Amino acid sequence: MTKHVIHCIFAVCVSMGLLLLMIGMADSVPNAGGQPHAEHPGMVIGADGAARLAHIGSLAFMFNSLLLTLVVGLCVLGVSERHRSRKFLAGMGGSWLFMLMIWWMMFSTHQEFLLTGETDYFMGFPVPTAWQMYGTWLGAIPLIVMYSYGFRTFIYTREDEAEFDALLEQATRNSKQD
Amino acid sequence: MEAYRQEIIVGSVVIYMLFCVATGLWAMRRTRDSSDFFVAGRGLGPIVVALALFSSTLSGFGFVGGPGIVYSIGVSSFWMVVISSTGYAVGFFLVAKRIRMIAELRDCLSLPDVVAARYGSDAVRFLIALTIVLGVMGYLATQILAMAVVMQAILSGTETFANIGLVSCVIISSAVLIFYCVTGGIIASVYTDVVQGFIMMVAGSLILMTAVSVFDGGMQEATAIILADDSEAIMPFGSAGVMASLGWFFVFGLGLAGQPHLITKMMMNKKMSDNRSILPMSLFGYVMAALLWISIGIVMRAAVIDGIVEPLALPDDAASTFLSIFANPLLAGVVFAGLFAAIMSTSDAFLNIGTAAIIHDIPTALRGRSVENELFWARVVTVLLAIVAAGFALYSHYADATLVALLGAFGWGTFAASIFPVVAVGLNWRGATVAGAVTAISAALLINFVVQLSSIVPPYGISGPLVAFVTSMILFIGVSLITKQPELAPDIEDVLRI
Repeated sequence: MTKHVIHCIFAVCVSMGLLLLMIGMADSVPNAGGQPHAEHPGMVIGADGAARLAHIGSLAFMFNSLLLTLVVGLCVLGVSERHRSRKFLAGMGGSWLFMLMIWWMMFSTHQEFLLTGETDYFMGFPVPTAWQMYGTWLGAIPLIVMYSYGFRTFIYTREDEAEFDALLEQATRNSKQD
Repeated sequence: MEAYRQEIIVGSVVIYMLFCVATGLWAMRRTRDSSDFFVAGRGLGPIVVALALFSSTLSGFGFVGGPGIVYSIGVSSFWMVVISSTGYAVGFFLVAKRIRMIAELRDCLSLPDVVAARYGSDAVRFLIALTIVLGVMGYLATQILAMAVVMQAILSGTETFANIGLVSCVIISSAVLIFYCVTGGIIASVYTDVVQGFIMMVAGSLILMTAVSVFDGGMQEATAIILADDSEAIMPFGSAGVMASLGWFFVFGLGLAGQPHLITKMMMNKKMSDNRSILPMSLFGYVMAALLWISIGIVMRAAVIDGIVEPLALPDDAASTFLSIFANPLLAGVVFAGLFAAIMSTSDAFLNIGTAAIIHDIPTALRGRSVENELFWARVVTVLLAIVAAGFALYSHYADATLVALLGAFGWGTFAASIFPVVAVGLNWRGATVAGAVTAISAALLINFVVQLSSIVPPYGISGPLVAFVTSMILFIGVSLITKQPELAPDIEDVLRI
């Protein structure tokens, strides 16, 4: 099944390219990239957040969802095909859903703020920003846990090590013969 | 203690620089050949590699530019930082194992060596080496200039060196950098990185504690002040908007696995199994050090809006102003030493890979073999490279910033776009072809050059490096899929299968 992971990665990249094109061609909004602060030189303000997302909000949401898909797809590609077991794929699927959930919470709570103008705080930051700040940082922790704790199961098993050692010995023998 | 603030800061920096010189002398005795000089004989332990990896990631940009960017555009710049966990994860999944295997199997000294072994192509080796040399020049010049500017700011506060010039500061700081890089090569570089990384972690956590105490209500009061002034600045996409933020997420996140000065360090660990602990340790160190980036920027923006602090002349003054107003002199000393550590740890990594590209990779690509007496020439070229970069830095400062800015375009984004597909994807997909690699690297260089030269500003904050990265990924895989599958060397075939 995972033999075609490179084709999935290619499809994701092409979709992201198309989304970038659509965003580039969307109706423009003045100062979508920010404007100078009226009182403090050197500071930039974002001003009307709802207007900035009006034409590209859903496209941007899809873009990052695809980016997170790409991240997981690349991690799958990085693991030898023979170690892509159901357990491994389940872990990767779970990591992907976890990152998508964080992204959805960040995006939706920001949308909510744009509608109501009100927000709670969590550990020093408005809730949407807390999802970005803490959530994004923690979002990839399942991947890191899978790498570190699953190192001898998915990444570099004892059999892999023995195979590589044999390869090294062969290379040494070949160089001596040369 | 406050009366001796400047002396404490200068003392901290001097102690740090003396340490670098001593490390260079110590490492010189352990550097016997070019393998020691470039890849530390592939004999480093996990803690050394972990600290070297993260301290090279966070350059002077993180310590000076980072807080300045948060001050300027708010949360948008958080995306460059919070992506670190994803970036490190992708980098280790894709690169750490196979680059280490090929490096040992083929006795590779540099990233272009690994790429040439993987693709069996000197054209790909040459293009990667060329990209590295161009990128290194821009990076090194900006790092040396940053180091000199900070040194001038510190020394001019003392009576003895009140009128010290920028040229003198460039000479002093470059001399220390050159000394330990020339004498000890990568061994001196990584062992100074260990201390540099430790200083950066301590600085980051102490600064966070100081920053949350600036307002009675802690960080929440600071963010509430920013929210009341301009809510978007403190919302998830910051002042620069959603596409600028996601662009940084893409380029800084995935791009981490395309940075030659970082992934080269993945070739240096003694045991492959150490990777399982190097990954979490590197990430932990980076997060600790990056606390400085976020906390200073937020607190300074809130403090200026609230009227506690006068508006800054330049956003990049955020860190130094914060230190002079809010930090204890001892903490300021640690942070300034940390700043030099951040700049030097990145600079020495660039000096090393730039030298390898010039004396080893480009000659090998062009005439089939490296230069004779590699260790001697490595030391000579390290000196010359640093001198040329220092010259670029001064030229850019006094005459015309265009050249360095142009080379600076070959920074993180260009490395990411041109190296990531070829290395990170190519080491894990046997279907990757030479045509795919050449097309991807050429397209990435071209797009970044064109965007930089023509000053094109894409809408909605979409950045040139983002366009270049997505394009190079599509071209790399697309061209590889439609070109003839390569015949790989048997040992490389085995490595890609393991």
